[in-house]
Amino acid sequence: MLDDILKKFQEAAEHPEALKERYLAEGKQIVLVAPVYTPEEIVHSMGLVPMGAWGGDLQLNQSKRYFPAFICSIVQSILELGMKGAYEGVSALIVPSLCDSLKVLGENWKYAVPSIPFIPMTYPQNRKPEYALEYTLHSYERVIADLQKATGKVFSEKLLRVSLEIYNEHNALMRETVKELAAHPEISAQQRSWIFKSATFLRKEEHSALLKQFLKELKEQKAEGKKLRIVTTGILADAPSLLQILDENGLQIVADDIAAESRQYKTDIEAGNDGLVALAKKHASRDNCSVLYDPLKRRVETLVETAKAVEADGVLMILTKFCDPEEFDYPLIRNACKAAGLPIVEVEVDRQMENYEQAATIIESFKEMMESK
Amino acid sequence: MSCYTMGIDIGSTTSKGVILKDGSEVVSTYLIHAGTGTKGPGTVREELLKSSGLTNEEIAYTVVTGYGRKTYEEADAQLSELSCHAKGSHFLFPEVRTVIDIGGQDAKVMKLDEEGRMTGFLMNDKCAAGTGRFLEVMANILQLDVSQLEEEAARAEEALKISSTCTVFAESEVISQLANGADIPALVKGICRSVASRVGALAKRTGIEEKVCMSGGVAINGGVREALAEELGTEIEYSPLAQLTGALGAAIHAYERATAKERKDG
Ligand code: SF4
Repeated sequence: MLDDILKKFQEAAEHPEALKERYLAEGKQIVLVAPVYTPEEIVHSMGLVPMGAWGGDLQLNQSKRYFPAFICSIVQSILELGMKGAYEGVSALIVPSLCDSLKVLGENWKYAVPSIPFIPMTYPQNRKPEYALEYTLHSYERVIADLQKATGKVFSEKLLRVSLEIYNEHNALMRETVKELAAHPEISAQQRSWIFKSATFLRKEEHSALLKQFLKELKEQKAEGKKLRIVTTGILADAPSLLQILDENGLQIVADDIAAESRQYKTDIEAGNDGLVALAKKHASRDNCSVLYDPLKRRVETLVETAKAVEADGVLMILTKFCDPEEFDYPLIRNACKAAGLPIVEVEVDRQMENYEQAATIIESFKEMMESK
Repeated sequence: MSCYTMGIDIGSTTSKGVILKDGSEVVSTYLIHAGTGTKGPGTVREELLKSSGLTNEEIAYTVVTGYGRKTYEEADAQLSELSCHAKGSHFLFPEVRTVIDIGGQDAKVMKLDEEGRMTGFLMNDKCAAGTGRFLEVMANILQLDVSQLEEEAARAEEALKISSTCTVFAESEVISQLANGADIPALVKGICRSVASRVGALAKRTGIEEKVCMSGGVAINGGVREALAEELGTEIEYSPLAQLTGALGAAIHAYERATAKERKDG
């Protein structure tokens, strides 16, 4: 039954700590992977379980010793969770260097949570040229060496290729799911979010197996109801109270440009003989993301094109408070949507937000604006 | 037969109501300084019916809007205050394309098209600077009523600068100005300017398209209106019904729904 599978997604999404305990009890070693693009495939290939670390909705107090108030709540809450012992038992944390806040997270982590080794994944700013590939490869070597040291596991090219395939398959399934969901207004925004969130915690082969069952059932289910179609854009969109507002207002997410959601699954690995090179190329070919150097800001037009392609009624920008990369893009996105006649609004969120009264008014007005069009 | 509709706007500090005849004629209005969570909203319907001589059954449709709309149960539908302010402003000033609404707790800027449809909006959701609350706090320190601010500002020859954005810091700034013997009218003018510059910044972010009007409670304050007009370099339309714009818009929405329903039923 569809509901049973959704429940499994929900369980994993809402209780990563239980999942962590399960993996540990099974004798597995866990490595935390911070946003936005961490070479999880390497972790996976070494027989380790990569679990996403995108922070959590909790009060911040200990992390304030290390961070100023004006830094995004994702990095703050990752550190807070670390300091409070929520990650007890994991073997390492990998943080990519894709934004300034993430760089600071790594530096602070070393002092604040000395029991869990911090492994930096340093990406080149210019990711496409030949020399950049080489740079990325060197960083992978550092990650591998650090992982070997932290876990005692060894890296093998052969196993990496197996993992790459598992990740490619999962990518394809996630994309298919997004497409299929667009045709099913009866699946709520909250349910959709469980699918994405669970994907960051579960091992990809487990998640793929669930996705296959889910897709099979979903395709057999008759689509029901009619909702306004929106495209979401931003870093995170998993706050239950925010999703509830979308559901209460009858808004269906038909596509997304959310870093924690579809942006993760857009780029595949091309077959090649050298797995690490293929992985570096995957990163080089990633595009349309606020944390990736994009002088022409193609992300903006891609978003508008996507919204048009899925016949969206409007675009909802979910801005993570104090996220510089997203804030820089916001005016461009806003103008481009306006020029294309696409209604757009912005709501600002952070992980400590409990009262969404303002967001509720904004989203309700947004709905009314789309309806009157 | 005439069609009567009611619009109710429950704000944070006031409750307002309007009865419209055939979507265009204001039959009665009511305003009480008691907002959501008080008995205010309950008395609006009663008072409107009393002053119009209508009965509850004669009201074809009621739309409720405003901060307290979710807890008001006697309406047929609820709509956000933005849609209602947009609708009401278009009714009062058909040529208006930018509506600036300063309420008790927040400030909003709406863009309208020729038909009065809202095409975009922005809300200040971060702080109380640039809202009615800011004026209240300031009036309180000066031991004035908010309604006296306009008169005071008009007497000023110059405006004193309030440099703090934050309401709490601005409060201590005003207190120290007072302690230094500052001229009250000049201080009030400075306070109005301060609100205008916050809201003006919000308005500039949406892009000002003429004509511009103000709605909401703070619009009554000529001091803020003038300062805002100066800030934006444009004239600002204003109606004595400004405070009722949301309720008026709600009543128009109610009329549109009532007649659409009739068409469907009929
Ligand atoms: S939300 Fe923005 S600032 Fe925070 S880690 Fe992600 S990209 Fe960096």
